[in-house]
Amino acid sequence: MAMAEKFDSLEEHLEKFVENIRQLGIIVSDFQPSSQAGLNQKLNFMVTGLQDIDKCRQQLHDISVPLEVFEYIDQGRNPQLYTKECLERALAKNEQVKGKIDTMKKFKSLLIQELTKVFPEDMAKYKAIRVKKACFRLAKFY
Amino acid sequence: MENFSALFGGAEPPPAAAASFALPPTWVGGSGPGLVGPGQLPVGPAGTTELTGSTNLITHYNLEHAYNKFCGKKVKEKLSNFLPDLPGMIDLPGSHDNSSLRSLIEKPPICGSSFTPLTGTMLTGFRLHAGPLPEQCRLMHIQPPKKKNKHKHKQSRTQDPVPPETPSDSDHKKKKKKKEEDPERKRKKKEKKKKKNRHSPEHPGVGSSQASSSSSLR
Repeated sequence: MAMAEKFDSLEEHLEKFVENIRQLGIIVSDFQPSSQAGLNQKLNFMVTGLQDIDKCRQQLHDISVPLEVFEYIDQGRNPQLYTKECLERALAKNEQVKGKIDTMKKFKSLLIQELTKVFPEDMAKYKAIRVKKACFRLAKFY
Repeated sequence: MENFSALFGGAEPPPAAAASFALPPTWVGGSGPGLVGPGQLPVGPAGTTELTGSTNLITHYNLEHAYNKFCGKKVKEKLSNFLPDLPGMIDLPGSHDNSSLRSLIEKPPICGSSFTPLTGTMLTGFRLHAGPLPEQCRLMHIQPPKKKNKHKHKQSRTQDPVPPETPSDSDHKKKKKKKEEDPERKRKKKEKKKKKNRHSPEHPGVGSSQASSSSSLR
C-alpha cells in the first residue's frame, strides 16, 4: 500500500503541474497587461511543481519501466495494450512448453513400453530402482 | 544387455522408511518420480519443487485477476482513453512534434542540479505583448474531438428509411449494367444494321455501311 501511496502522490503532483501549464497557456494565448502578476505566479508554480516532482523521484528510484512501453506511448497507443500483449504472449508460450512437456512424457512412456517388450528383465530392474529412489525422495521431502 | 544395465545404473539407494502411501500398480514412468497432489509442483531430483511450463504460470503467480482485467475486456487503443484528463492532442505520434519519450532517453536535456525560483529580475524577461497569439502558436488548446457513440450512428442508420438513390449512384449502376450489356447490344445493333443496309436502297454497299456504323458506335 505504501507503493500505491507514492504513485498517488506523484500522480497528484503531475496533474497539478499539467493543470498549471494549461492555465499558463490560456493566459499567454490572449495576454493582457493586468495578467502579468498571474503569469509570474504561474511561472513560479511551475518551478515549485518541478521541485515536488523531483522529490517524488527519490521515493521511486527502484521502479523499473520496460522501454517497450515508451514505444506504445510515443505512438499514441494505450500502454495497457503492452501489459495485455505480455500476458497473452506468456500464456501462449506456457501452452507451447506444456505441449512439448506432455509430448516428451508420452514419448517416454511409449519408449519404456517398447523397451519392456524387448528387454523385460532389465526393465524390471530399472523400474525397481526408480521406485526405490522415488520412495527415498518422498520420505526425505516429507 | 550389459551395456543397457550400465546405462541405467545398478546402484541402489539406502533403504527408505516405510511409506504410508500406495504406489500405482501400472507404473509407466510418465508422470515423474513422485506422487503429487493436485495443485502441487512435482518434486525434483534434489527434493526441490520444480516450476516448469507444465504448470499454469498465471495462476501460480496469482495473475488471474490481471489477465481477466486486460485480456477479458477490450482495451481501448488510444492513449487518450488511458489519460482522458490530459489536455492537448496526445494521440498523435511523438515524432511529429518532437515530444517523444524515446528522444528524451536518447538525448536527455542538459540542466542544472536544482530548481531555483525565479527572481524579480528574471521575471522581467517574461513581460509579454498584449493581444492574442498568432494562429501558428495556438495548437496546444486544440482538444481531440469527442467521440460520438457508434451505436447511435448504427441505430440512426437502421431506423432511417432507405434514402433515395442519388443521381451519381443510379448513374453508376446504370453505367455498370450498360457496360455489361454493351457488347451484346453492339452485336445486335450491328446485325440489325447489316440487315437494314442490305435491304435499303440508300446505302450503296455493305462495306461502306459497316465502316460508317462502326464509326458512329465509337
